[in-house]
Amino acid sequence: MAFTPVLHAEWLKIRTLRSLPGALLALFAVTTAFAALAGADGSSDPDFDPLFSSFFGVLPGQIAAVSFGAMAVSSEYHGGALRLTLAAVPQRGRWFAAKMTAIAVPALLVGLVTALAALAVARAGLGSAANGLTTAQQVRGVVGCGVYLMLMALFAAGLTAVLRSGVATLSVLIPFILVVSFVVGDAVGTVADYLPDKAGQIVLHQTYEGTLGPWSGLAVTALWTAAALLTGLWSVRRRDA
Amino acid sequence: MTSIEIQALTKEYGTRRAVDDLTCTVLPGRVTGFLGPNGAGKSTTMRLVLGLDRPTSGTATVGGRAYVTLNEPLRQVGALLDAQAAHGSRTGRDHLRVLAASNRIPDRRVDEVLQETGLSSVARRRVKTYSLGMRQRLGIAGALLGDPEVVMLDEPSNGLDPEGIIWIRGLLRRLAEEGRTVLVSSHLMNETASFADHLVVLGRGRLLADTPMREFIHARVEPRVRVRTPDATALRTALARHGHDAVQHEDGHWIVRHARVDDIGRLASEAGVPLLELAAEEGTLEQAYLDLTAGETEFTAQPQEA
Repeated sequence: MAFTPVLHAEWLKIRTLRSLPGALLALFAVTTAFAALAGADGSSDPDFDPLFSSFFGVLPGQIAAVSFGAMAVSSEYHGGALRLTLAAVPQRGRWFAAKMTAIAVPALLVGLVTALAALAVARAGLGSAANGLTTAQQVRGVVGCGVYLMLMALFAAGLTAVLRSGVATLSVLIPFILVVSFVVGDAVGTVADYLPDKAGQIVLHQTYEGTLGPWSGLAVTALWTAAALLTGLWSVRRRDA
Repeated sequence: MTSIEIQALTKEYGTRRAVDDLTCTVLPGRVTGFLGPNGAGKSTTMRLVLGLDRPTSGTATVGGRAYVTLNEPLRQVGALLDAQAAHGSRTGRDHLRVLAASNRIPDRRVDEVLQETGLSSVARRRVKTYSLGMRQRLGIAGALLGDPEVVMLDEPSNGLDPEGIIWIRGLLRRLAEEGRTVLVSSHLMNETASFADHLVVLGRGRLLADTPMREFIHARVEPRVRVRTPDATALRTALARHGHDAVQHEDGHWIVRHARVDDIGRLASEAGVPLLELAAEEGTLEQAYLDLTAGETEFTAQPQEA
């Protein structure tokens, strides 16, 4: 079987469930709304990082990206839907690749648009406070933000294929994201740096310390995502549907 | 023409054998009823044929090929496994469009099967607003989508209204007359008797019977004759003389077991017994099935007694 029709079917599945485009819309709305707040706040703190202030909304916004990835996969684990899917596409590896592509592409595109909008909104609010940002830093932040959100959506998608439940995935990931971001917080130089969300968020900062840089941090997140996807693929291929 | 070939198929879940060394062939051009009590392994067998579950041993093929090697399988095999498989938040039409897209089936065909299953008027409503009967019809529409040579339906009459049951009977007959291979599981005897030509009966995962339906009934249900007479004493005497035994039914007629109408008619006439009614009692699938499964219970209970 060719890949394109399978991808077409998976894309149709995402488009025809209101909650999935809804999650992407929420990602955009929450992230840019927080950017507007950060812009209006305009801090004089010496540690003030105008790039991360623009992208601060990614912290709550990523929950929408994670939900998108989890729900897109978990809809296959209700009432024998996966059986119907695999009866139509028995090549499980190909099906899994199509599903993940259909999640990755919209997550990346919405992530990039969201990042651009968040940066624009925040800069309008910050005014001269954001003058220290170079073009390279801003491009890095926008691209990194899009890639980060895509990786988080795929991480959740892979985990859902392992756990075979969206509720289970979200009840692991959402507290995890909240705890790591708000409790472990700014502690730098610990293993927390290598957690999937923490490592990938370095790219959203103007300045960074510690062993990981923006792209190596994103690579760490990519490794976590790859591990989740491979385990998910293994689970889909090996288990009875 | 495409058959379903099942060869020494076994599936174990832990220590339980859901399907136990099953060998049978489901042929085209007829409706094969797949019977057995709940948990006999009917659904598991269907999942094994579709490559959804991996057999512990043995093989199941369609037209000589393993299902997972089929290219665009919906064009060759259509299956209804579970009416709940459609996502409640999608419309019926979108549900079918997704299936169609994966096998490069045009959307025109989606509207055709919606028409055929009587769902056109609700096609743009979300599946969660559908009744169980409508979901069954949607599942059947999905099975017919690729105009397949082989159709496998698991309990398709579940939740259908009387009109729906008549409709599906006609549909199954038509599919078989078009030369397709039709396998339909059920635990409803009268329902199966109304559409099946051939039977495959499972009990505890094992093959109990693989025979034409008529033969199955005749081999298992004793022939009986139903007689009504105003002179019961004369009838009983005449029957007793020929070694027949009559039992009176609560409605007033008599039942002669192990007898044929020809014989009873002749002997009643010779003895001058007036008859008001004389008819052969057709065995039902239900009787035949119960006889078979009672035997199975006895058989499986024996080792414990020893």
